[in-house]
Amino acid sequence: MSRIDGYAPIEDYALIGDGRTAALVARDGAIDWLCLPNFDSPSVFAAILDRQRGGAFELQPEGAFESSRRYLPRTNVLETTFTTGTGTVRVVDALTLPGPKLAPMRELARSIEGVAGAVPMRWRVQPRFAYGGHAPRCEWRLGMPVAAWGAEAMAIAHRNAGTPAWRGDGVEGRFEIGAGGRALLALAGAYAEPLVLPDADAVAGRLEATIRFWTEWAGERPCDGPWADLVMRSALALKLMIFAPSGAAVAAPTTSLPEEIGGQRNWDYRFCWIRDSNFMISALMRLGCHAEARSLFWWFMQATALTEPDLHVLYRLDGGVGPREHRVPLSGYRGSAPVRVGNGALEQAQHDIYGALLETACLYSEGERALDRDTGAVLARIADRVCDIWRQPDSGIWEVRNGPFHFTHSKVMCWVALDRAVKMAGDGEVPARHADRWRREAAAIREYVDTECWSSELRSYTRTAGSRDVDASLLMLPLVGYGDPRGDRVRGTIDAVNRLLRNGDFVRRYRADDGVPGGEGAFLNCSFWLVGALARCGRLDEAGELMDNLAGRANDVGLFSEEIDPPSGAFLGNFPQALVHLALVDAALALQGKA
Amino acid sequence: MLVSAIAGGFIGTLVFSTVVKAASEMALTRMDLTLLLGTTVTDNRRKARAIGFIFHLLLGVVFAMAYAAFFRIIGHSAWWLGAIGGTVHAVFTSTVLVNMLLPIVHPRMATTETAADETTLIEPPGFLMLNYGRSTFLVSLAAHIAYGISVALIVRV
Repeated sequence: MSRIDGYAPIEDYALIGDGRTAALVARDGAIDWLCLPNFDSPSVFAAILDRQRGGAFELQPEGAFESSRRYLPRTNVLETTFTTGTGTVRVVDALTLPGPKLAPMRELARSIEGVAGAVPMRWRVQPRFAYGGHAPRCEWRLGMPVAAWGAEAMAIAHRNAGTPAWRGDGVEGRFEIGAGGRALLALAGAYAEPLVLPDADAVAGRLEATIRFWTEWAGERPCDGPWADLVMRSALALKLMIFAPSGAAVAAPTTSLPEEIGGQRNWDYRFCWIRDSNFMISALMRLGCHAEARSLFWWFMQATALTEPDLHVLYRLDGGVGPREHRVPLSGYRGSAPVRVGNGALEQAQHDIYGALLETACLYSEGERALDRDTGAVLARIADRVCDIWRQPDSGIWEVRNGPFHFTHSKVMCWVALDRAVKMAGDGEVPARHADRWRREAAAIREYVDTECWSSELRSYTRTAGSRDVDASLLMLPLVGYGDPRGDRVRGTIDAVNRLLRNGDFVRRYRADDGVPGGEGAFLNCSFWLVGALARCGRLDEAGELMDNLAGRANDVGLFSEEIDPPSGAFLGNFPQALVHLALVDAALALQGKA
Repeated sequence: MLVSAIAGGFIGTLVFSTVVKAASEMALTRMDLTLLLGTTVTDNRRKARAIGFIFHLLLGVVFAMAYAAFFRIIGHSAWWLGAIGGTVHAVFTSTVLVNMLLPIVHPRMATTETAADETTLIEPPGFLMLNYGRSTFLVSLAAHIAYGISVALIVRV
């Protein structure tokens, strides 16, 4: 792998995590992204966003090497094999699960094993707290290097990994490992509490237990079909993006990986979007993750309790609102500034989220259990709210910053909200007092969409009412049950998107201006939506061929970022992105007739 | 006097805990007395925090009785006497009690004598508990003064 100006290609990263935070491991052995103690905490390693000031945990052979890697089968534990002129060495990386005994608040384990010959290795831990803003206090505790700042601290445990020494504001070591030799490095993190200093044997035990947990978890969720491996990897990646303490799911575990190299479209995705909820619940239930689906649904109901019947576009992982978007002094991935923390979409009006939430509740009540009376009352109030607001313009699914507009997708999702409310009222899940009003307004939305948002010239629904553009979000119409998937209107819309937005395997979101300067890559979720839409309208060969092509675009460990640069195939945007993996799962299941 | 000392110890400890928790949220310290005390008897984090909180409350009551005895001996109680008591208390706990005695009696706290036969250990507090952050002693001082004032205002001599 070659770095450009010190930055690894985004597709050369793999994700490890423990359900509370996650780290990105580059193919050359550097951990360039880690926030402690949680996904949305400030970073301690952010070299992916600033090579000089971000901080990293490097571990690699001293000389020239080649590397290959994989996840240990059916786990989220990464194995990287380095091959050098003198030998071969294997590194296993994981964020370990704590288990019932006293363990560090967070623990990153790196187990090193000599495979052949003898390989000189070097490692360096250079933490930078608060998004690169603070170098650490460099100290020792009983022979163990400790870096601390404010309420944060980390200790670096080591066995057979050389003699660590502080050099500048990083600690480093060198050692040689021969065939059969073993070494261990472990980073123990603490926030607002004393460090728990890890013993090497205990770390090794937790690493084994972590591998066992993931294997068992995956074993309980059998996948079949031609894309089974990719679906399983998606399930494992999605599980990593669920914040276990609350059940919320991040849209991606990173911030500000750019949509265009050098561009300004750099956003923080470490929040839970209501929009992703119906995809997430649907995917989790179809993958057999019922406990995770239940947890996520109740998180949604608790998070929205303070704001209902109005909903925010996104919520913090603890269910709160905010923080406001601001910039941090990192130079950005390959100079792609600014680096943002927080997300300005928080303040936007996006009406599609009401449909997402009601659809989520409907899926949950179908697949899991009856809703309680209070939840039903909240959902009824939200449905009433949709009746009040659907005629107003909004910022839409893509969170445009030059709106608001009358987006077709938003109107359709308002229809979804009322359609599902009527259905749940019929099932006795939601109070039926206003069901007639919901029915009336749903019919009015349908009439509006079918007249104002339809172009006879394009033979397609349009991006906004009265426009002559199409939008990839229209591919979701058959996914959410709007219209007959084999009818002329839906098929015409799919054809129009194919014709006007598709370039090879990739589908642009839209061609219109969105109020944000700069360009972007192709959003991969749009391509998977196209697969799902084609499959639902019976064009299975076309859908299968596109699915095969897209599967070949995953990186070497089966992960996708938000976007791809069509000419080069390079990943762009936050990585890995939950929505892409959710769309992948939906597409694979749709192709098997299970969606 | 006994009842007021118990009440003073209870309320004073709640005030102490609030000050420390607020300081922790402001990134001034990593001191966590409930975890430190609770892990003397269990290696389960959740149980440790619950047990540690009870230990801390009990210790708060015991110290409040000592304050009350002192006030009774001198025949006078005032908020500023509580503040002075809190200052002495903070210096004593940060140097002798937590720094020296706790690592000796704590079965899961690292010391200079920790060897290979022991497993995962809690970071020792160090002199003035500065291992838990440079502001830790000041936080401890403020919390103890708040505790001392609370006790002095509640105890009836």
